[in-house]
Amino acid sequence: MKKRSLLRPVVVLLLCATVVLFSTFAFAGPSGKLIMFHAGSLSVPFAAMEKAFEAKYPGVDLQREAAGSQNCARKITDIGKPCDIMASADYKVIDKLLIPGYANCNIRFATNQLVLCYTDKSAYADTVNADNWYQILQKKDVVWGHSDPNLDPCGYRSLMVMQLAEKALNKPGLYKQLIANRPEENVRPKSVELISLLQTGNMDYAWEYLSVAVQHGLKYIVLPDEINLGNYKYDPVYEQSFVEVTGTKPGTTMIIKGISCTYGVTLIKDAPNPEAAIAFLEYMLDPKGGLQILKDMGQPPFIPCRVPTAEMKKSLPAELQKLVEVKD
Amino acid sequence: MAFILLPLVEMMTAPSFAMLKETIKDKDVVRSIWLSIYTAGLAALISFVFGTPLAYVLARSDFRGKKLIESIIDLPIVIPHPVVGIAILSVAGKNHWLGELFSQVGIRIMGSVTGIVVVLTFVGMPFYINAVKGGFESISPRLEKVSRSLGASMFSTFFRITFPLAWRSMLVGIVMCSARAISEFGAVVIVAYHPMIAPVMIYERFEAFGLKYSQPVAVWLVFICLTLFLILRILTLHDREKTA
Repeated sequence: MKKRSLLRPVVVLLLCATVVLFSTFAFAGPSGKLIMFHAGSLSVPFAAMEKAFEAKYPGVDLQREAAGSQNCARKITDIGKPCDIMASADYKVIDKLLIPGYANCNIRFATNQLVLCYTDKSAYADTVNADNWYQILQKKDVVWGHSDPNLDPCGYRSLMVMQLAEKALNKPGLYKQLIANRPEENVRPKSVELISLLQTGNMDYAWEYLSVAVQHGLKYIVLPDEINLGNYKYDPVYEQSFVEVTGTKPGTTMIIKGISCTYGVTLIKDAPNPEAAIAFLEYMLDPKGGLQILKDMGQPPFIPCRVPTAEMKKSLPAELQKLVEVKD
Repeated sequence: MAFILLPLVEMMTAPSFAMLKETIKDKDVVRSIWLSIYTAGLAALISFVFGTPLAYVLARSDFRGKKLIESIIDLPIVIPHPVVGIAILSVAGKNHWLGELFSQVGIRIMGSVTGIVVVLTFVGMPFYINAVKGGFESISPRLEKVSRSLGASMFSTFFRITFPLAWRSMLVGIVMCSARAISEFGAVVIVAYHPMIAPVMIYERFEAFGLKYSQPVAVWLVFICLTLFLILRILTLHDREKTA
């Protein structure tokens, strides 16, 4: 009797073990939760990348949180939220707020430029153009805004574009006059929030990235390269503008100087799921993978992506080293 | 009890006294808490003025579609808060005929105190209406009928018979409506980030600098609201003791 009753449970146990082993085999490779904080302007391309990546690795659940890039950084540094990958609309945010305490690398992967967005329902929509936009923004019946410079790079970049316009058009005082017609109520924490305000007719004009305007089908004014922060060749000109934003501690501030829009991505130290994170970066930085999606959606990528020093390239995981080049 | 008290006690005791003092000295914080209080008060007042007649009709009459109307009144409670904000914003913009009308008249909803009060009234009114409707239902209509039969007008009956019997439920309704309105965040943050009500400020400070910077504002808001509601309750208790 004893021998028979022992046999059955042992067989059942062995069967369970086989099933468990088999299922771990089936999900071999990256799996589990993958947490990513990224800039709001990357929402649409990253949603597409998420679909493609999860189709490739069904065991991974990519959970993205979009916010202004400084906000993303602070969630990691001040609030201690767990995060695997952080993608910023300004790579300098990673340099200033995350390196070296929370990240070691900073991979520049795309560019962008600022445009003035509007819809056909906006005030003066039929007359606005690249020559008279600054006059229209000063009109009292025009509601226009930008995102919060303390939380979102698009916010301080919008201010920089207006400062550069003052210099380029040789109109001293223009920047102050423009800001005077932009009450605090027209500032939102994240630039993509401005889009719903434009689309419902609550706002006439908003400063946005070109990629976002394209992705949401908005009308936009393209500005000359000298002021749109889109062409790195004009960096010496862009440097003439600067904005003071909140620093690492409340009550402190830091100065951000104008520079062409360069997006950066980093792998966070102590990432909860480094295996899946590296797999995602491998897909994202692939010219045929994530970078192609960015290109299709109106945001010119760097092909290949860039890191500033050979030392940083060597510190990257092996799979990523072949996808980047060293370029200052 | 412990389920409610534990997180609250933890939050109230976390900031140091120095931090609390520093926070209340901050002009932005005081402005924010005051904005929260008076917009919630305005929302309660509007609910009182427009909700009382509706509650009375619902309590006294029976008609086809009454259950539907009652369900519609309860809708703002059920709809997710950001959806409320988005809905109000869509109506308030120039792309909607009502929003176009507002813009012509010079009324601004997005990013304004008007917008905040509209949102708070939307989410708070069902609480007022339900409380007052219950109050009216508990008053026997026979009392009103007697008054009418003795020659009093409808208005006179309401103010001399119904109102004195129902005012406590109206007060409860006002407290419920204000409490709901003061704590509203998801709908307001979509319609108006600035001017900043206290819950939005707490969220902004949390996102920007973390718990240590945002908790003191939350503590002050809870403390001030608790005091206000306690005073209101004491006023009613006091009267009840008198009548007993």
